[in-house]
Amino acid sequence: MRLTGALPNFVVFAALIAVAVIADLTGNPYIVTLATKVAIFGLAGVGLNLALGYGGLVSFGHAAFFGLGGYVTAILASHAASATPVATFPFTMMGTNEMLAIWPFAILVAGFAALVIGALSLRTKGVYFIMVTLAFAQMLYYFAISWPTYGGEDGLSFYVRNTFPGANTFAPLQFFGICATMLAITMVLVALLTQSRFGLALRAAKENETRVIASGIKPFAIRLTAFVLSGMVAGLAGALFADLNRFVSPTMLSWHMSGEIIIFVILGGVGRLAGPIAGAAVFITLEYLLGPISDHWQALLGFLLILIVLFAPKGLMGLALGKRGNA
Amino acid sequence: MLLLAEQVLNGLQYGMMLFLMAAGLTLVFGVMGLINLAHGSLYMVGAFACAAVAAATGSFWLGLAASLAAAAALGALVEIVVIRRLYARDHLDQVLATFALILVFSEGTRWLFGSFPLYLSLPPVLSGAVTLPGGLIYPAFRLAIIVIGVLVALGLFWLITRTRLGIRIRAGEADREMIAALGVDIAKLYTMVFALGAALAGLSGALVGSVQSVQVGMGEPVLILAFVTVVIGGIGSIKGALIGALLVGMTDTLGKALLPGLFARFMEASAATSVGSALASMLIYVLMALVLIWRPTGLYGARA
Amino acid sequence: MPEPILTLSHLSKSFGALKATDDVSLDLRPGEIHALIGPNGAGKSTLIKQIAGEIRPDSGSVTFEGQAIDDLGPADRARLGLARSFQVSSVVPGFTVLQNVMLAVQGASGASFRFIRPALSDRNLTAPALFHIQHSGLDGRETVKAADLAHGERRRLEIAMALAMRPRAFLLDEPMAGMGAEGAHDLTAILAELKSEAPILLVEHDMDAVFALADRISVLVYGKVIATGTVDEIRKNPEVRRSYLGEEA
Repeated sequence: MRLTGALPNFVVFAALIAVAVIADLTGNPYIVTLATKVAIFGLAGVGLNLALGYGGLVSFGHAAFFGLGGYVTAILASHAASATPVATFPFTMMGTNEMLAIWPFAILVAGFAALVIGALSLRTKGVYFIMVTLAFAQMLYYFAISWPTYGGEDGLSFYVRNTFPGANTFAPLQFFGICATMLAITMVLVALLTQSRFGLALRAAKENETRVIASGIKPFAIRLTAFVLSGMVAGLAGALFADLNRFVSPTMLSWHMSGEIIIFVILGGVGRLAGPIAGAAVFITLEYLLGPISDHWQALLGFLLILIVLFAPKGLMGLALGKRGNA
Repeated sequence: MLLLAEQVLNGLQYGMMLFLMAAGLTLVFGVMGLINLAHGSLYMVGAFACAAVAAATGSFWLGLAASLAAAAALGALVEIVVIRRLYARDHLDQVLATFALILVFSEGTRWLFGSFPLYLSLPPVLSGAVTLPGGLIYPAFRLAIIVIGVLVALGLFWLITRTRLGIRIRAGEADREMIAALGVDIAKLYTMVFALGAALAGLSGALVGSVQSVQVGMGEPVLILAFVTVVIGGIGSIKGALIGALLVGMTDTLGKALLPGLFARFMEASAATSVGSALASMLIYVLMALVLIWRPTGLYGARA
Repeated sequence: MPEPILTLSHLSKSFGALKATDDVSLDLRPGEIHALIGPNGAGKSTLIKQIAGEIRPDSGSVTFEGQAIDDLGPADRARLGLARSFQVSSVVPGFTVLQNVMLAVQGASGASFRFIRPALSDRNLTAPALFHIQHSGLDGRETVKAADLAHGERRRLEIAMALAMRPRAFLLDEPMAGMGAEGAHDLTAILAELKSEAPILLVEHDMDAVFALADRISVLVYGKVIATGTVDEIRKNPEVRRSYLGEEA
């Protein structure tokens, strides 16, 4: 990747770190928490961007993977707290409160769900794909509501944040550091991915599917892989979000969540590596600034979004950089 | 047996309500190529208009008329101000802008009416129960919803196949440029189609609001079900919307009524209830998945 | 006579009552241009689509280099070297010249599931791609986006991509459709270039071009092959004159 292309991404990420560190030094832990939220939502957006921005797959169901990651975390943590097994068949599995043990589960479960949902949804195109991903996510949402074991509609709390070796996860800045590190690692991986052979095929399939088939490459397999990877990243973000709040509820699976993740991506600029971070930052800042002024800040957000769609379709980073997105 | 018959009627009523929603969605997509997430907001607006006017005038019928008028007027306004700028955009922009419209409408309604649910009282003629042949006692209002659904379906088929507007709609579906060349004011046609879909959603909201309650956010679960309906029936097809709506209505109602009992035969009762109802809530999505495996463009959708 | 590269035996395809392809058997031999002609609606495109794997025949079989390929989809057939080029496939407009040709090399080499290494530093992709770019006279234009190329350059890019797939046979369905007079001029040069690489099954409306370039011609009428032969044989064939060329005269 050329430096000119990478620089804005680096600036956005560095700004996020700076905000968190300065807030911590000046004794504003709440701001650190907001920055953590930006990192987590940004991570979910980076994940979605892989499917949506680079692959052209408009998934309106990424809350499913985000929520699953969250539920896996909460379920493992709550079983660890009560010292009861998660499952007794086919083998006994105990809960855990080690993040490093939880994340692989969260990522795998989200990835498996993305595999099943993706394999079905990718049979369709365009507006069908949007509706179908939305519907499958909604299926999990209703399942979470009507399944009483893990709290149903009320959600599931775990009172102690999970642990990470060598860190005090209760210190806001340290937990932020963990989230920001995962975000940085993911961004590097996504940057590599989009420039790899796989990325070449994925981006080509977005622009000219027929050409890709005529070249001997099957778009379905490429897209399904991208969709699964994208779901896995969203699952990791969900796991971190659960730890941030020490609470999960069906809201994490709801279509508002899916919509918000899309908003992060689009606010920032589709197909831009750090776009979702910028988008999440703007979203959360707006919520923070407008929320106290008006109970109806979401209506203002709505107006703002409509204006952006109608007049700045390249997103905020596109607006700031004055050019179209990186290929 | 009577219980089953009652559930079938419930499913039919649910299906008809879904059809009112899905018809507008599928029409707007088929003719203008637009995916409209804010369709559920029009449903909500219809319900609130009905509740407000019925409370102010004491007449349910005026409320019902108001739901049609308010949703149609708001639909036309939104089409002119926002939606028509989205026809040429890709689906992503449409999704985002109409999602933003939901935020605006939901907060706007909350600001006007507050967060507490409103309740509608039915006129005497509809508030009783009817004894059907076979001895089944069934609420008159639910029966009325079924009848209204059938009438709307007949009306839509008549509109699409027999009237000048319908011919224009079908032509617009086939070829935008050609119909523009024929001198039909395409912008006006689109506004009318959008307002028609909005009116149906508003009517549906008012009817359901009368049985349940009227509150902010009521349109969202219905919207998702309407999407499932449209995906099953095939985008753009009124007939598909009708068949899809009936399938979804029946599957959901019968699943919720029968599954817990079914599981109780080989599980203990409380577990059966929770497993049964959890699975029942997923049933229509399983139905959708099956249809997609069989036919990726829905039962009556245009083949790719 | 050399073994044919591509053999169609008894292909049939109906759409409802319409027989689009009716018991078609023909073959493509090494080094030849085999042209498929016929009036509009004769089923030429449907036939090409069945060879490319985009639609399935109701009955009959397609053999490619001695292997039955009936169960393979279009991507697999392309990878075997059955190259559907021009018109349908075109280029990826947002990609550079180099990326476009790399995509073709990647498709032929089969490995798309490599996630980490940047494609641009993968010499297995770039070296063949650069070779074909140079060969097609596009050197110096590697980093230009395909969308920004001039018409002639775009044609050269399409040739480079077609050759980069190391094809064993070309399927060309009206390659110059919509190109106007200069298209016919291009056609001769392009076909000569492609033919040196692999034999060509060509669907083309321009009769002058077909009679000038083809080694053999098959005439398709209402889904049936009514004649196959050399240019002279086809010109003289009474049935062809009556049912097809007669219309033109």
